[in-house]
Amino acid sequence: MKAEPEKRLDPRAKLLWRLTGALQAVPILLGGALGSYVLFSKAPLYLAVLPVLGALALAVLLVFVLPPLLWWRWRYEIRPLEVDLQRGLLRVTRTLVPMARVQHVDTRRGPLQRRLGLSTVVFYTAAGPNEIPQLAKDTAAEVRNRIAELTRTADEL
Amino acid sequence: MSSSAAEGFGERRLHPVGMLLAALGTIRRWIGAAAFPGVAALINGQFGMRTLLLVLLIAVMISVFSAVWGVLSWRATTYRVSGGAFHLKRGVLQKSERSLPVGRIQSVNTVQGIVQRLFRVVEVRVEAAGGGEEPEISLPALSRNDARILREELTRTRRASGEVGEVLQEEPSPTVLRRLSVRNLLVAGMTSGQIGIAASVVVGVSQTVDQLLLRDLVERFSEALLPRTVSAILLLVLAFVLFAWMLAILGTVLAHAGFTLSRSSDGKYLHIKRGLFSRYETTVPLARIQAIKVVEGVLRQPFGLAAVRVESAGFAEERGVSTILFPLLPRKEAEEFVRTAAPSFGVSLEDLKPLPPRVRRRYALRAALPVLLATTPAIIFFFPWSLSILLLALPAALYGLLRHQAAGYSLDGDRLVLRFRRLARTTVVAPRGRLQSRGYSVSPFQRRLGLATLEVKVASGSGGAAFRLTDLEVVSAVDMVERLGPEIIAVEV
Repeated sequence: MKAEPEKRLDPRAKLLWRLTGALQAVPILLGGALGSYVLFSKAPLYLAVLPVLGALALAVLLVFVLPPLLWWRWRYEIRPLEVDLQRGLLRVTRTLVPMARVQHVDTRRGPLQRRLGLSTVVFYTAAGPNEIPQLAKDTAAEVRNRIAELTRTADEL
Repeated sequence: MSSSAAEGFGERRLHPVGMLLAALGTIRRWIGAAAFPGVAALINGQFGMRTLLLVLLIAVMISVFSAVWGVLSWRATTYRVSGGAFHLKRGVLQKSERSLPVGRIQSVNTVQGIVQRLFRVVEVRVEAAGGGEEPEISLPALSRNDARILREELTRTRRASGEVGEVLQEEPSPTVLRRLSVRNLLVAGMTSGQIGIAASVVVGVSQTVDQLLLRDLVERFSEALLPRTVSAILLLVLAFVLFAWMLAILGTVLAHAGFTLSRSSDGKYLHIKRGLFSRYETTVPLARIQAIKVVEGVLRQPFGLAAVRVESAGFAEERGVSTILFPLLPRKEAEEFVRTAAPSFGVSLEDLKPLPPRVRRRYALRAALPVLLATTPAIIFFFPWSLSILLLALPAALYGLLRHQAAGYSLDGDRLVLRFRRLARTTVVAPRGRLQSRGYSVSPFQRRLGLATLEVKVASGSGGAAFRLTDLEVVSAVDMVERLGPEIIAVEV
């Protein structure tokens, strides 16, 4: 069996995910604070602090724990006949997409990605899109071109 | 030479049966539009004599109107061959004339529907090359003799105008592969298990009832009927189930009456024709079929019955479909049927590798878990005799075991066969080369036990369909993913 894919995402992905994690943590922390405030008067202390503690734990997870784990798990490889992707936090998923089935390939950049010089490569099959997120801008362009070229050759077979 | 090209023959009319066909067509359309308001009016008028007469009167008026329109329509339709072209004049109010140069005619086919067969006439379809707005002109009723004369005249005209002189062949008629008998149509309706329709009908009716200001009547109605005893409630539930069942049968009959699957003479297309009032026609190019599914519904499996569905992909402007290939057949015949309809999908549907036995427990647990979680609050509140609620988890666990038993997979030559149970037991056949992606995933629990979930995706309609098999041995999953790859030379279009 082919070895598992080797290439990693750009290290700045961790930073980007920390930032998005922080953004997501804000409403969670607010909700937790509100919950605690509401319970403060009504329930014993050890119950009232639960929402806030829970929210804090979630925030810590989102900002400090998950991003590096996610980055560690994300692997990809572009082979002549297929694209090999492996990703996931708890459930690790490996997907192989035959080059002959790829219809077209794009790069996409959100505002945060632009600031950090990152790009996402999206390639489409008839069954829907697949993506390789958070690659350096130049790497993304290379990957996109490589896939486009290999798709063409695969069709000519 | 040019003069004989211009000859042709003068204006001719369709066979009088054309009147009947036109009238029937109009009636069909009106039934579709008038049925619901008609029934609503009947209910509104509480089935009183007056309302009944009114509805009947309207029905008669529609029939008379359709008959008159049929005659007028027939009188207005004429065809001729002259000046090197085929001309068709149509239209009662909006008159139109279509002219088709003989050189553009690709073929002249004759078809016979029920009405045509009864009266021994044929429908003639003149097909034009190059598509365009209307790729074919249809003459709904011609005597066989007239049809022959037309074809001969068109051929003669083509030859005379110097076209490549092939006789305009009749396209060989498609081969009928399987037809749905009336008995099987009813069985399909009885076993379809579509309760959704009943629910939406109830909602629709209650909205209509509101609109028709029947609130007063309904209130008195429900006052009298309100179930006070357990037996009354049960009776009401039973009545609803029966009602839902009737609707399911009706729905199936409307949609699938006269279901016919045929293959075009060149073997490249499958044609599906079905429907009671509106006839639906679907064409599936064999080359675009991505997967075929044999679905054994919960109500059908005990009787050894199944339905066959097909997923196909689109191409350029054609859209893909996800549709029924045949609504009902004995499961034992499914394999042979698939082999006949789509030979490249012909593969043994038995002899699938089962899941490892040790996984049975996981399947049972996975099914019981939602029930346990949902009933936990109730258990906590009503402790301790609420532990009996835990018994509810038993049928759930049983369902899990059934899912385990149904699961299986195999790779026969180039064809992947996956079997699983969501509610219905489904067997999917997908050629390796058509898979859009394949892969496996491992959860933390699976990692500990050396298991994995296999997943493949095919194109379907305008999107994709994913099929998963949970809890294979990880080596088997990895091995399957390897063997499903494009490595081995397979030139797939």
